[in-house]
Amino acid sequence: MKVTDTIRRAGRSLRNAKARTLLTSLAIGVGAFTIILSLAAGAGGRQYAQDIVASNTNVLELYVQPKQDDQSDSSKPKEYSEDPSISYGGGFSLKLLQQSDIDKIEKIDGVEDITPVYNVSAKYVTREGQKKYQASIESFTSTLKQEYVAGNGDTMGANDVVIPEAFREVLGFVDNSAAIGQNVTVAVDGATLGAPDKVVTLKVVGVVGESALASIGGSAGLQLNKDIVKELYQYSQAGTPNENAYTGATVTAISESKVQDIKTAINSQGYEAQTAEDLMGFIFQFINVLQGILIGFGALAVLTSIFGIINTQYISVLERTQQIGLMKALGMRRRDVGRLFKFEAAWIGFLGGALGSGLAFIAGTAANPWIRDTLNLGDDTNLLIFEPWSFVAVIVGLMLVSIGAGILPARKAARLDPIEALRTE
Amino acid sequence: MIEVTQLTKTYGKKHNIFTALDDVSFTIPDGASVAILGKSGSGKSTLMHAMSGLDRPQTGKVVIDGEDILTLKTKAVDKFRATKMSFIFQSFFIQANENCYDNVSLPLEIANVPLKERRKRVTDALESVELGDKIKSKAKNLSGGQKQRLAIARAIVNKPQIIFADEPTGNLDSATGEKVEDILFGYNKKNGVTLIIVTHDPDLARKCDMQINVKDGKIESIRESKTKSIANVTKKGVSTV
Repeated sequence: MKVTDTIRRAGRSLRNAKARTLLTSLAIGVGAFTIILSLAAGAGGRQYAQDIVASNTNVLELYVQPKQDDQSDSSKPKEYSEDPSISYGGGFSLKLLQQSDIDKIEKIDGVEDITPVYNVSAKYVTREGQKKYQASIESFTSTLKQEYVAGNGDTMGANDVVIPEAFREVLGFVDNSAAIGQNVTVAVDGATLGAPDKVVTLKVVGVVGESALASIGGSAGLQLNKDIVKELYQYSQAGTPNENAYTGATVTAISESKVQDIKTAINSQGYEAQTAEDLMGFIFQFINVLQGILIGFGALAVLTSIFGIINTQYISVLERTQQIGLMKALGMRRRDVGRLFKFEAAWIGFLGGALGSGLAFIAGTAANPWIRDTLNLGDDTNLLIFEPWSFVAVIVGLMLVSIGAGILPARKAARLDPIEALRTE
Repeated sequence: MIEVTQLTKTYGKKHNIFTALDDVSFTIPDGASVAILGKSGSGKSTLMHAMSGLDRPQTGKVVIDGEDILTLKTKAVDKFRATKMSFIFQSFFIQANENCYDNVSLPLEIANVPLKERRKRVTDALESVELGDKIKSKAKNLSGGQKQRLAIARAIVNKPQIIFADEPTGNLDSATGEKVEDILFGYNKKNGVTLIIVTHDPDLARKCDMQINVKDGKIESIRESKTKSIANVTKKGVSTV
């Protein structure tokens, strides 16, 4: 018997038991629904993470930290080191980079520039006639892609500042463009007791909208010129053991092809370097684990539906004993009888897969705007991205799983004794 | 020609042994109409199953066209049945949910006949049993007589050499039964197809060229009923059972 004829007959048998076929395939459809949505969420998550990383990091940049001690066993005493570090309770400490480290790294082939991380917060930011607000301070980086709602940082001078839209509001500017060219005052605490605050007056050159990073808890601080940030940082650390020590540094490579070499070189000198790619990899890994868990639930649903298919097909074989007997009497081969039932199972898998992924697509497409609004993802960001290959893979996969489930009933059908099957008494 | 030689079929083991066929031998010429006559449990159905290769007796031969089908592999026997034999059953065994076309097309699909040829042959077969206008009708909407005619169409569509009919009129009233008989015998005479009818109905058996009486798995008598006198003998043979 030709395969096409067998497939047609299999489809027709299912049409004759519409309700049962539909219910059986719905079970597998639940699995398809979950898996398709998981894949879409994973794809969307990765895309979103990539957007964030791309808009907040530079592919030429590496983030360098000192190599930290093994702190997995906190019960063991650790050797004291003269090097500067930040100590936390419970025997944990964070080593810091020193100026000598910075100089060493700067000499590595391919390094264009190295900027230490200046960890400094403003005591307050304010302007005439307004209240004082807390703020974090960041170094302005021209390579960062930002969404300016007014002005820009292209001509960032030593005493210029880029402020987030939220600060524009609380500092009493009527609209975004009104803030451009106006002065704000930033104060930083002195390091030692009684030291006066350092107060600088800065000119607003740009206002940035809410960044993609802000929605996942990323900072939305004031962006100051690198030199003034350094000055403020040094002022805030002056006279402490951690003067001229940094939690990390940002290294810029001269070209993208050098990034990996620099990373190797830095690591071999006893530091830990992370590229933008590593950062992305870390986020991707996190997303992949989450996606894996979701797919696991889908797989569980599929596993449950397998028993449904086996059960349905067994009943179908019992019901159609005479039909099977007749087909065998007419010379249909065992293999073809078995195939007929396997194809029926494949049809159920196809139907369930198509139904589930179709519903997932509709539901996901409908839910995307809602997710975007709820999580404040910003325009054009879809957290559920449906890739065509995932539909094909899920449907084909479920068809194979269904065929697998159909093997036992199909074998029963193939082995049926036609004489027994056709006995009328 | 069908040659059955020393066919023996037993069921069960040792103490519970039951002999369904006991050393059965006979020869059927091509194109004959043959009745295998016997009461229920006499072994007549087992004989039909053995002759069609559905059942495998322990000993004996069934030689069709010079080939012993009992020595063939399952695959070869299946092919034999798909191309050279067909069946008609008392309870029709047609697929109620399918239309007449699909019912009749089944043996052709099994025998791998190309779609184009299938269409023509299905139409011809349905027309020859006067169901040409029912080609698209669901089989469950047919009357009993029509259902059996549909089964006949299915049996003749692959142009078999041998048609096995197991109580073909058993579920029909006498008028429709007679029509079915007419079609069967007409086809048998017209196309020279060997027709083997398994029945317990002496009236139907009497219409056949040859009657094989089976009792307790043994051949009781074989009659060639070309004349009326032989028909009487048959009646007598049955009455003595």
